[in-house]
Amino acid sequence: MSVSVLSNQASIRLLAKIWLVIVLGFIGHNIYLWSGHLQLDTDILAMLPQDERDPTVQNATRQLSDSAAKRVVVVIGGQNWESALAATDAYAAILKNSKLPLNLRYKIGDESAWLSFFIPYRNQLLSAAQRQQLASSSIDQLAQGAVAALYQPGIGMPRFGEWQDDPLNLLGAWLGERAAESKVRIRDGRLSLMSSSSSGEAFYILLTLEQQDSAFSIKAQQALIPVLDAAKAAALQTQPQIEVLSVGVPLHAAAAASQAEREVHTIGIGSMVGIVLLTVFAFSAIRPRILVTLSIAIGLLAAISVCSLLFGRLHLITLVFGASLVGVAENYGSNYFSSRQGRPAAERWTMLKAQAPVMWLAMLTTAIGYLLLALTPFPGLRQIAVFSATGLLAAFVTVMWWFPLFDKGEMKHTRLSNWIGTRRALWPHLGCNRLTLLFAIVVATVLLAGGLAIKSNDDVRLLQSSPPALIAQQIKVSQLLDLPSPAQFYLIRGASIESVLQQEEALKAKLVPLIAKGSISGYQAISDWVPSAAQQTKNQALIKSVVFGQQGVLAKAGSALGESLTPSFKPSQPLIIADWLAAPVSEPLRHQWLGRFENGYASVILLRGVSKPVQLAELAALAPGVAGVRWVDKVAEVSTVMGRYRVLMAWVIALSYLLVFAALSYRFGKQAWRALLPTLLASTLALAILALLGQPLQLFNILALLLILGMGVDYGIFLLENPDRHATRPFLSVTLAAASTLLAFGLLALSATPALHAFGLTMLLGIGFSWLLTPAFMP
Amino acid sequence: MFTIFLLSIFALSSHAADLAVSVKERLVQPEVLRGDFEQNKQVSGFKKPLVSRGDFLVARDSGVLWRTQTPFASTLKLSRDEIVAKQEGAVTFRLSASKEPSVRMINGLLFSLMNGDVSSLGELFKIEGSVSGKAWQLTLTPRQAALGKIMRKIELSGDQFVRRILLDEASGDQTLIRLSAQNTEPAKLSKDERIRFE
Repeated sequence: MSVSVLSNQASIRLLAKIWLVIVLGFIGHNIYLWSGHLQLDTDILAMLPQDERDPTVQNATRQLSDSAAKRVVVVIGGQNWESALAATDAYAAILKNSKLPLNLRYKIGDESAWLSFFIPYRNQLLSAAQRQQLASSSIDQLAQGAVAALYQPGIGMPRFGEWQDDPLNLLGAWLGERAAESKVRIRDGRLSLMSSSSSGEAFYILLTLEQQDSAFSIKAQQALIPVLDAAKAAALQTQPQIEVLSVGVPLHAAAAASQAEREVHTIGIGSMVGIVLLTVFAFSAIRPRILVTLSIAIGLLAAISVCSLLFGRLHLITLVFGASLVGVAENYGSNYFSSRQGRPAAERWTMLKAQAPVMWLAMLTTAIGYLLLALTPFPGLRQIAVFSATGLLAAFVTVMWWFPLFDKGEMKHTRLSNWIGTRRALWPHLGCNRLTLLFAIVVATVLLAGGLAIKSNDDVRLLQSSPPALIAQQIKVSQLLDLPSPAQFYLIRGASIESVLQQEEALKAKLVPLIAKGSISGYQAISDWVPSAAQQTKNQALIKSVVFGQQGVLAKAGSALGESLTPSFKPSQPLIIADWLAAPVSEPLRHQWLGRFENGYASVILLRGVSKPVQLAELAALAPGVAGVRWVDKVAEVSTVMGRYRVLMAWVIALSYLLVFAALSYRFGKQAWRALLPTLLASTLALAILALLGQPLQLFNILALLLILGMGVDYGIFLLENPDRHATRPFLSVTLAAASTLLAFGLLALSATPALHAFGLTMLLGIGFSWLLTPAFMP
Repeated sequence: MFTIFLLSIFALSSHAADLAVSVKERLVQPEVLRGDFEQNKQVSGFKKPLVSRGDFLVARDSGVLWRTQTPFASTLKLSRDEIVAKQEGAVTFRLSASKEPSVRMINGLLFSLMNGDVSSLGELFKIEGSVSGKAWQLTLTPRQAALGKIMRKIELSGDQFVRRILLDEASGDQTLIRLSAQNTEPAKLSKDERIRFE
């Protein structure tokens, strides 16, 4: 044994001790995290890039969605009112008895207080239609109508106060218009809804529940599901014919969490089983299996630790993706044992010293791939990249510093490892031969056909993976309640509350023609409830002259009736937004008032009946015409950002090929292309085949190419390091690595999350081709 | 998310009260009912009552038609899906069930009142009253505070037909409606009557 080997051995022993301390730290931190301190994200949008051009839109969207994040709406319907009522009572009883911290809103108290809130402001509240009516009709006509209405039975809008307070019942009609914005009514003290279709009438009752936890917690969301299921079962037991629909962000989050849990299990356990089987057959001894598993476990612990330290919280998708790390981190361990096999234990130090530069190069090219991912502005991808790079590095360090210490026994070649290693000799050699020509023709054809078939699609909705049953319920409830669309809205900003309300009014005037021609069916705006002070002053002046003036409606009606009616007009304080917000009546629309926002105030106008892209363009075109108004289309914006990054990432990948090529040239000189070209071909073939299969090209396919580069090149490095066709060790190592990577990403391709599916599928094809092509390109 | 409702204070329920049932037994339940009315309305703050006269038509399948002839000609039509008020042929008020879901309930209520079919009002109103021979009289007082803020009580009386309806509103307004000259023949709507419902 030479001195240098001895000193190498000593330094490894020291490093191993240091590493032990760090690993113990990771273990401790993980125990802390998993005992309830781990914060998980489920929303797929949290993975996507923030719109860096406009934080305003981001803030507005967040504020809007925060208000809905904890709410679940349950709609229970039956053929008749009594069965719906009985079923909903049974449902609510279960929720009340559950120990969950829920705010249940079911029975509604005295609603007349809501209505009387507006009575003091009666002379300031007019809808556009009412202003139109007052301005265009003659006072005689109005007075006649008011008198005639007196003789009719009191059918129509309820009247508040005495007749002479409001002879035209303007307040009743105004409230009627407000009420018409919703189909929900109170019946027997419940929020109810009636729908009739060709199949008959149905009666629905609503109940809402809000989670009280201040922190967003997946545990709380998942705990909700069994309670809702039990409540549904109880409702169905009372009334077997009823329909129970539930919608809300917590349901989607819980579904996503359960799905991710399942996938983490499938991918993790699947990869583990595959690795155990491979090591059993390839290395026969039990030691390699334990050590490889140890390296992967340390990799995962380190990844979870570092990620949660760095980001504060983990995205579920990171964990699912992280499960595939099992298959990648395995590479270093199996590479070690492929080299170790058939050598006496004493040689392992020299072997490791000889192998180290190649192993570091392979690790670095993979890490480059992941770290370039970390440079993207995608919060989710940054996490995945840090997670993977940390995991790989930790697994790699474990192999380099711990394996030689524990690995003392003999390791014989097994029959399988010999068989795999010798397959290398069977690979054809590409050069000036017929096979090469045939190969070139096939590849060129596939690439050409694929290139022609390629279509990109950046629609963010492709990323949605909620269970179809949840989405169907969502659609049905939206239709029943005629809810405004949450994905598009107008954001109205102003320096003061008054200017926000005035700008809303200006925008609404522009929306009226769109409603008239059917582009949208309606809108929902705060200024419908609380007009701007300027508008309130105008309304008051109009009512004062038309209704209560010397020759006004009241005076004329009085003389027609032969009554002397004293005008009761009293000017009052304007209705202000703070009072409205504090009153229960504002509950349904309160979230649309964003309040203090950046340097001023902001509100949101929501729209109903938006479905076609043509309408979106029309609606967007209105915004620039009114000061302070912005059209926000979250779906379109995220999709645009996704598309922009798809193109950007393609350039990043081109750049990384250059960087990797430089690194390879440094070590392999003029032969470097042999390590890189197979991976390049594999990547393009993977894209071409996906295109031929009809899969749209999206950002996640492109991102996979980055990793294919990182891993595929490893195969080239290992084989080029020892290009002898009859050397079995490099090919054994490459094949074992490819097999476990294929297994991991193959399982990822089965994911129900479309982004992970696209990623896994691209990886599966790309890595498969890399492994297949690389040996043929060796000298 | 949900806007308030207004008119559901008129909501119907269908729990029968014994008294209402025995009243129902005394009433004829025709397919079509025609008759005249005199409405006497005392509006709070007015010195004189407002008196109007006209005729009415209640058809089980089509709804209620209330035609005022004096002092102003006007009609009020309540069909299953809408309420329409007209004056000199021009629509002065229209409320459709697609916009305002309570329309169906209001119309159901009015139909019940005109027909004396009050068995469905038990949950909304406390029903008191008496029956003697053919004649009966009922007083309905709202059970819920919300409805109580609009309507103090409703009095109904009659024999095989409803003859008198008194609406005592919380605002102080009182409406007394007398129904007379009821007839149920022909049992089907005439062509002319059908047109009036359209």
